[in-house]
Amino acid sequence: MPLSMNRRTALGMALAAPVILRSSRAFAAKELRVMAWQGYADDDWVKEFQDQTGATANVVFIGTDDEIWAKIKGSEGKDFDVFAVNTAQLQRYIDGGLTTPHDLAKIPNQKNVLPRFQDLSKVKGIMRDGKAHAVPFCFDSIGIIYDKDKVNPPPDSFESFWDPKYKGKILAYDNGEHNFSFTALTMGIEDPFHLNEEQMGKIKEKLIALKGNVLSFYTTPDEALQLYKSNDVALIWANYGQQQVKAMKDAGANIEYVNPKEGALAWLDTWAMTSGVQDPDLAAAWVNFLLQKKIGEQLSQRTGFGNTVVETGSAGANDKLVWLDFVEDPTKRSDMWNEIKAQP
Amino acid sequence: MLAGSRRAVGDQMIFVGSARHGYGPRLLALISYVLPAVFIIAPLASFLAYSFFRMENGQIVHDLSLGNYRRFFADAIFVPVLWQTCLLCLSVAALATLIGYPVAFLLASLKGRRRHFLLLMVLVPLLMSYIIKIYAIRSILGGNGFLNRFMLWTGVIEQPLTVFVFNLNAVLLTLTVLLIPFAILPIFLALERIPRSLIEASVDLGASSLQTFVRIILPLSLPGVITAATFVFVLAIGDFLTPQMVGGQSGFTFGRIVFSQFGTAFNWPFGAALSAILAIVVISVIALGNRVGQRST
Repeated sequence: MPLSMNRRTALGMALAAPVILRSSRAFAAKELRVMAWQGYADDDWVKEFQDQTGATANVVFIGTDDEIWAKIKGSEGKDFDVFAVNTAQLQRYIDGGLTTPHDLAKIPNQKNVLPRFQDLSKVKGIMRDGKAHAVPFCFDSIGIIYDKDKVNPPPDSFESFWDPKYKGKILAYDNGEHNFSFTALTMGIEDPFHLNEEQMGKIKEKLIALKGNVLSFYTTPDEALQLYKSNDVALIWANYGQQQVKAMKDAGANIEYVNPKEGALAWLDTWAMTSGVQDPDLAAAWVNFLLQKKIGEQLSQRTGFGNTVVETGSAGANDKLVWLDFVEDPTKRSDMWNEIKAQP
Repeated sequence: MLAGSRRAVGDQMIFVGSARHGYGPRLLALISYVLPAVFIIAPLASFLAYSFFRMENGQIVHDLSLGNYRRFFADAIFVPVLWQTCLLCLSVAALATLIGYPVAFLLASLKGRRRHFLLLMVLVPLLMSYIIKIYAIRSILGGNGFLNRFMLWTGVIEQPLTVFVFNLNAVLLTLTVLLIPFAILPIFLALERIPRSLIEASVDLGASSLQTFVRIILPLSLPGVITAATFVFVLAIGDFLTPQMVGGQSGFTFGRIVFSQFGTAFNWPFGAALSAILAIVVISVIALGNRVGQRST
C-alpha cells in the first residue's frame, strides 16, 4: 500500500510539473545513448524524438541477452544511458547496482498505460525497495493457437493438449524449461519457476502423457507453419505468440489465439536506466516519448508484439499472464526433458 | 592405348615434382601436416579435454574427472538411446547400400553422354541445401502430404496414413534418401575398377550373367560396398537435424541429446563426453569397415 501511495503522490507531482515547457528542445546538444532490440527504436521515432528534444539519440541494437549484459556490465553502466531488458534479466542488473531507479514523475505517460501495467508494484520484477528500476514497454504471451475448423468451442485451458480428441494433432515446443513451467501452471502450481523434486516428478509424468498426444515438437515458427500446412493440426503451443499468429494468418490459416485460464507464460521487456546515466531527465523523456499511444500502435503493427499502452492480440484485459522468470535449475529441466523424449 | 597415355602423364608429373628442389615441396608437406593439426586434431583434442571437466552453478569447472563418462553408463537413458540410434543408422546404411548398388551398377554399365547425365542426376542433390531437402521430404511424407494425397486419390487408402510421418520410420526413410548419393559413388568407383577382361573371361568360360555377377563382380565390388555402408553410417549417426525435423515425438536419437547439452542444458563438458563416446563408436565402425574391406580383397 505505501508503495502505491508514493506512486500516486509522484504522479500528482508530475501533473503539476511544467512538462510542456520542458518539451521544447530542452535537451539541445545533449546526447542519449540507447541500447535496444531491433524494433524498439525505429528511425522515424528517433528522428521525432530528436526534433522534439533537440538531443541526439545514438541507438545501438543488440541481438542477445548476453550481449546486453556484456556491454552494460563491461562498462559498469557507463557506456549507455538507457537500455531495453526483460524482467527476468533485469534482476541481475539491479543486484549488480547497474541500474538507476526511474522517477515516475518524469514519465507522465506511464499513468495512461493499460491497467495491468498501471501499478508497477504488481508487475513482478520491476520494483526493488520501493523504487521502479524499469518501465514496461513491450511484451508477448505464449498461449494456444487453434484451428477454428477443428476446435469448437475454442479451448480455454492448456488441458486441451492432453485431450485424446486431439491425439496426433498437436504441435508442442521443443524446450524443457518452458514445458515444465506451463505444465506446472496447468496443474495449478503457484510458482512454475521454482519447482521441488516432487512437483518435477509429477510434471514429468504429465509431460510423458503429453508426448503421446503430440504430433511433433517444433523449434522455429517457420517449422510450425510448415508442419501445420502438411498435416492435420488442431492445436499449437505458441512459443512465438503473435509473431506466429501473424505468419500463420498471412499464410491463409483459419486460426485464432487464446490465453488459457491457468495463465499464459509471457515475457516483458522494459526500459531501464544505467547506473552511469548522464542525464536522467533525458532518459526519462525517451521512455515517456515511447509510451505514446501512436508509438505503441506502431510498435505492435511493425513487430507483432504487444505494447503496454494500447490493447493488442497478445492479451485481453482479463487474461492472466505469468511473467517469465529464471527457473530453479535449467540444466536439470533440460536433462529431464531428454528423459521424457527418450521414453519409448 | 588410353592406359598407356595416362601412365605417360603420370611419369611426367613425377619428373616435374622431383626436379623441383628447394623449399617448395617441404613447405607443401608442412602445410599438409599443419592444417589438419590445427583445424582437426586440435579442436578434437580440446573436445576430449572438455569431456573431463564438469559444470557447477552454470560455470565450467576445469577439474579433471571421469564423472561425465560415469554418468553416461549410470543414467538409464543414454545407453539405450545410443543403441537404438546405432540400429537405426545400421538400417539406413543397409538400405542406402541396397538401393545404391543397382544404381551404381547401371551407372558403371553406361557409356558416354548417358553415363555423364546419370552421374549428374545422382550428384545434383548434393548441391542442394540439406535443410531444404528435409523440408521437401517432409511435405511429401506429411499427413496431407503429397504421398498421402496421391494414395487417397488413387484409392489405395481411405484415411491418410501416419506410418511414414513423425516416427522412426520417417527418420529412416529421410536419412536413406538424403544419403543414397554417398552410397552410390564408392560402389560405382569399385565397379568401374573391375577389369573388363575378367568379366569377359568369365563369359568366355561359359558362366551365365548371374554367375558372373555373383562370383566375379560382387566380390570384387565388395570393398566399395563396405566403404559405402561405412560412409552412410557415419554420416547418419552424426545427424541431429533429421530426427528433430521428421522424427516427431518418438524420433529421439543420440545426436539430439548431444545437441541439447550444447543448447538448452548448457552442459558442455557432458556434451563433449557424449561426443567423445560417439566418436569412439564412429572410429570403431570405420576400423571394422577397413578390416572387412581389406579381407574381402
